Amino acid sequence: MSKVRRPDCVVIGGGPAGLAAALAASSAGLDDVLLIERDIELGGILPQCIHDGFGSIVFKETLTGPQYAQRYVDELARTNVEVMLETIVLDLAPDRRITAMNSRDGLVDIEPRSVILAMGCRERTRHQVLLPGYRPAGVITAGAAQRYINIEGLMPGGKVVILGSGDIGLIMARRFTLEGATVEGVYEILDHPGGLTRNIVQCLNDFEIPLHLSHTVTFIHGPGRVEGVTVAAVDRERLPVPGSERHIPCDTLMLSVGLIPENELSKRADLRLDPVTAGPLVDERMETSVDGIFACGNVVNVYDLVDYVTHSAEIAGRGAAERVLEGRPRKAPVTVVPGRNVKYVVPQLVRSFERDIDFYFRVEHPEKAVRMTVKAGGETLGRRKAKMVHPPEMAMIPASVPGGGSEGVRELVVEVAPDAE
Amino acid sequence: MDELPGRAGVVVIGAGVIGCSIARELTRYTHDVVILDKESDVSSGTSKANNAEVHSGIGEKSGTLKQRLNVRGNQMYDDFVSGLNVDFRRQGLLIVITPRSLPEGLARYSPGFLCDFLNRRVLPRLIVRSGNRKGIPWLTVVDRDEIFRMEPNVTRDAIVGVHDRTYGLVSPYKLTIALAEHAVLNGARLCLDTRVTGIRTEGGAVRAVVTDAGEIECGIVVNAAGVYADEIADMAGAGGFRIHGRKGATLIFDREATREYVKGSVAEFRITGRKKRTSKGGGAMPTLEGNLQLGPTAIEVDDKEDTSISGDEIREIFDRFHYLLPDFPRDSVIAMFSGVRAPSEDEDFIIGASKEVAGFVNVAGMQSPGLASAPAVAEMVMQILHDLGIPRVKRAYFNQARPTPRMFADCERAEQEALIERDRRHGHIVCRCEQVTEADVVNAIHGVVPARSMDAVKRRTRAGMGRCQGGFCTPWISEILARELGVPRHEITKKGPGSELFVGPAKCLLDGASRRDGDGGAV
Ligand SMILES: Cc1cc2nc3c(=O)[nH]c(=O)nc-3n(C[C@H](O)[C@H](O)[C@H](O)COP(=O)(O)OP(=O)(O)OC[C@H]3O[C@@H](n4cnc5c(N)ncnc54)[C@H](O)[C@@H]3O)c2cc1C
Ligand SMILES: Cc1cc2nc3c(=O)[nH]c(=O)nc-3n(C[C@H](O)[C@H](O)[C@H](O)COP(=O)(O)OP(=O)(O)OC[C@H]3O[C@@H](n4cnc5c(N)ncnc54)[C@H](O)[C@@H]3O)c2cc1C
Repeated sequence: MSKVRRPDCVVIGGGPAGLAAALAASSAGLDDVLLIERDIELGGILPQCIHDGFGSIVFKETLTGPQYAQRYVDELARTNVEVMLETIVLDLAPDRRITAMNSRDGLVDIEPRSVILAMGCRERTRHQVLLPGYRPAGVITAGAAQRYINIEGLMPGGKVVILGSGDIGLIMARRFTLEGATVEGVYEILDHPGGLTRNIVQCLNDFEIPLHLSHTVTFIHGPGRVEGVTVAAVDRERLPVPGSERHIPCDTLMLSVGLIPENELSKRADLRLDPVTAGPLVDERMETSVDGIFACGNVVNVYDLVDYVTHSAEIAGRGAAERVLEGRPRKAPVTVVPGRNVKYVVPQLVRSFERDIDFYFRVEHPEKAVRMTVKAGGETLGRRKAKMVHPPEMAMIPASVPGGGSEGVRELVVEVAPDAE
Repeated sequence: MDELPGRAGVVVIGAGVIGCSIARELTRYTHDVVILDKESDVSSGTSKANNAEVHSGIGEKSGTLKQRLNVRGNQMYDDFVSGLNVDFRRQGLLIVITPRSLPEGLARYSPGFLCDFLNRRVLPRLIVRSGNRKGIPWLTVVDRDEIFRMEPNVTRDAIVGVHDRTYGLVSPYKLTIALAEHAVLNGARLCLDTRVTGIRTEGGAVRAVVTDAGEIECGIVVNAAGVYADEIADMAGAGGFRIHGRKGATLIFDREATREYVKGSVAEFRITGRKKRTSKGGGAMPTLEGNLQLGPTAIEVDDKEDTSISGDEIREIFDRFHYLLPDFPRDSVIAMFSGVRAPSEDEDFIIGASKEVAGFVNVAGMQSPGLASAPAVAEMVMQILHDLGIPRVKRAYFNQARPTPRMFADCERAEQEALIERDRRHGHIVCRCEQVTEADVVNAIHGVVPARSMDAVKRRTRAGMGRCQGGFCTPWISEILARELGVPRHEITKKGPGSELFVGPAKCLLDGASRRDGDGGAV
């Protein structure tokens, strides 16, 4: 085979995370950055997100997914970052060796000085939520439905029931309706919606699509193509309430039941994973447990806004450049612990307090009038107030240590508490 | 696929593992064989949805036909698959004796030392002795420490075990496809999408098989129609037995979470007391690819097409294995399936030439261990067919091998490079979970028995069997299928007519658009 390539940095995945990471690494001084994407174009999930609502934080305006992606693609074209499209990374070893493949060059070996993981996430399937019934055609995840309609020009269903009220499901409820399909309703097992309030209003209420909270699908009827579903109310334990079952005829069951970081390569590289996010543990530079391997975007945890994805990617890109250019030994990390009403925090580790750190986290349950804090021992490093926090909406607290010293800090705690004032 | 011919020497009804085993065996003696199936691919019935176990026969009651054919079938398996390019591995079965092994009544009212003695000393020896008497070799008693050395994840309650080393695993659908292809390569004709609706007899002998695609004259019919074997036999007036459906569901776990979780298959030994023995099988089994499988359930069903899985079944499997494998990874289920067994009233196989209708052969009641017994079933049916006039001399030209194109994921690095060199489409991964390439899919579509649906591609290549369950590969594969078959993309099905993936091209539901017009392949 051809000779081994040794670039400064390889970015795996060309979605918003990979694009911003490659740009940041390049502008922080790396000359030889290689971006590898398996699809035929850059942008990741964004080209299929033809609705608007992207970029309100980064660009202070709302763009569509393709518009948001294009800004980065254009900027990338002005750098010397090399892009390999239609190329899949098959393997990543703990020593950062990469095996990639495409039909032009075959198998390619790369030994980069740093790696940034930006592979995004995948959707949970009916089996992962143990949905009983037949296995007919017409059971489809929301992201896949979006791809069929918006990219492939195919209509996956005419009469749709939606399980799960995640954002993509809500967006697709509207999309199906605009395409002439009937959406019978959205069923959500929890007692609160999974998606953002603006999407409930704009995608369901405006189209008179009913949202049934504390409901689930208990059976998929088949066997060839979906013929209907049985839905039922659930009790506090999320178990179906006997007698509440209802049969709804439909030809499609669309699932919006969660996203999981794409962690195949993370596992192959032996990265330590966070059992809650299912993504790798990262520190304040977005570096993983393995020296020289960074991660950003939805591969780390599923962010609800692309702006946060971009932000995490810029940190990772800069981190990788520092690692290659300065090559400092890594300090032992301080752990960040989720405290009261906090499900998880990213980053999970902190090695240096030299710069301010933004801690992103999700709450466990909705709560009104709260104070959110980052504490080290008795000392408060950052705080914010909020009128309302919900699990679907990520929260963030910027924190800093005056003087940047971290001596004596053992662990950090992020917590949400009722606001006394 | 082949057009329905006007006549044939032998017609085999049913392209499951049983029908295909018989057809392949037949082609050693005659090429004049036609296989019929109502579905659009072979192995679309029970043969695609079972646990892949080639049992030794240890669980079958002495003196039954299925016990005899199971033991014989197991012995024949290596020769049976040779040349077919199908994986068959004797991984062994560990039968574990626990405090639950004795019937509950006995255990409750007997002194502890007695139960202990029975469990530790008597049961394992009984199992080995009874197995040896059935003709099963290589059964060994393993002590508790050895159990944990072999299978560290088994319950600490394990007392002693028996290792059944001739037990093996084979991919049931790959085997069935391979047998069908081997038969076709040796002259058999395969007619799919062809439903048998009647059997014409004259003067007490078979004359023709009537199908929804026309009639086919023949003197010999082999009825291997699975759960419908009773109905087919009735059509000929050669029945009188009933087959009822008994559903079984299985859960499959993510390979990454469960590789080596069990190294061979593991089952708990239970004497169920008065309850009559029903369909055999059940335990924790690794697939040949390394995923953990748990199951199956056994539920009587009225509808022979009931391949659904109920919430109760899922819970039952979780509860059952909670004991044997206390910490199996509950959150790593990637797939569930269920299949329908075809037991007869007395639970045994029904194999034989009809006494009422000359030329009509029943191969019915083929519940578990039908897969394990298949080689011996084919052997036995062949004897019957010789008696009905099929020549006893082998054909001069019989192709021993069924060559298959190499799959990318099965190759070492150097061979992968050579594959890409030869076919650039091997450089394009379409199923990321199982690393299936575009060339693999194209090869499946143009195979000896061509894949024409998503599930047919999946059975041949594994595309869509990984943890994303087709989320990533369905767009690619539906596009490749449409391209290679020359049909619009919205006509691609999951498993034959009536299971279309799409309702039409985009915009087909909007006012003024007619459904299913134009080509949806917009990319
Ligand atoms: C359907 C949907 C709708 C959304 N709507 C909104 C919205 O309205 N507003 C908003 O702010 N955010 C929205 N988001 C969120 C936002 O789009 C995502 O957070 C963002 O796309 C994540 O970026 P990423 O780069 O981490 O992942 P992705 O965009 O998924 O990109 C990952 C890329 O990596 C590539 N890749 C993966 N594995 C490999 C490999 N082994 N080799 C090579 N390449 C690989 C993939 O092909 C892909 O291009 C939505 C997300 C989805 C899924
Ligand atoms: C859950 C489960 C687990 C099992 N596990 C094991 C195991 O581990 N080991 C083992 O040895 N056995 C096992 N079995 C049993 C094994 O699967 C069967 O014995 C075997 O598959 C039977 O094969 P067959 O060819 O008789 O039936 P099938 O595969 O069902 O084939 C019958 C074919 O006939 C066709 N047909 C029916 N009617 C018509 C008609 N009118 N016209 C045309 N075609 C028709 C059908 O379409 C079908 O393709 C299991 C069974 C189940 C359900």
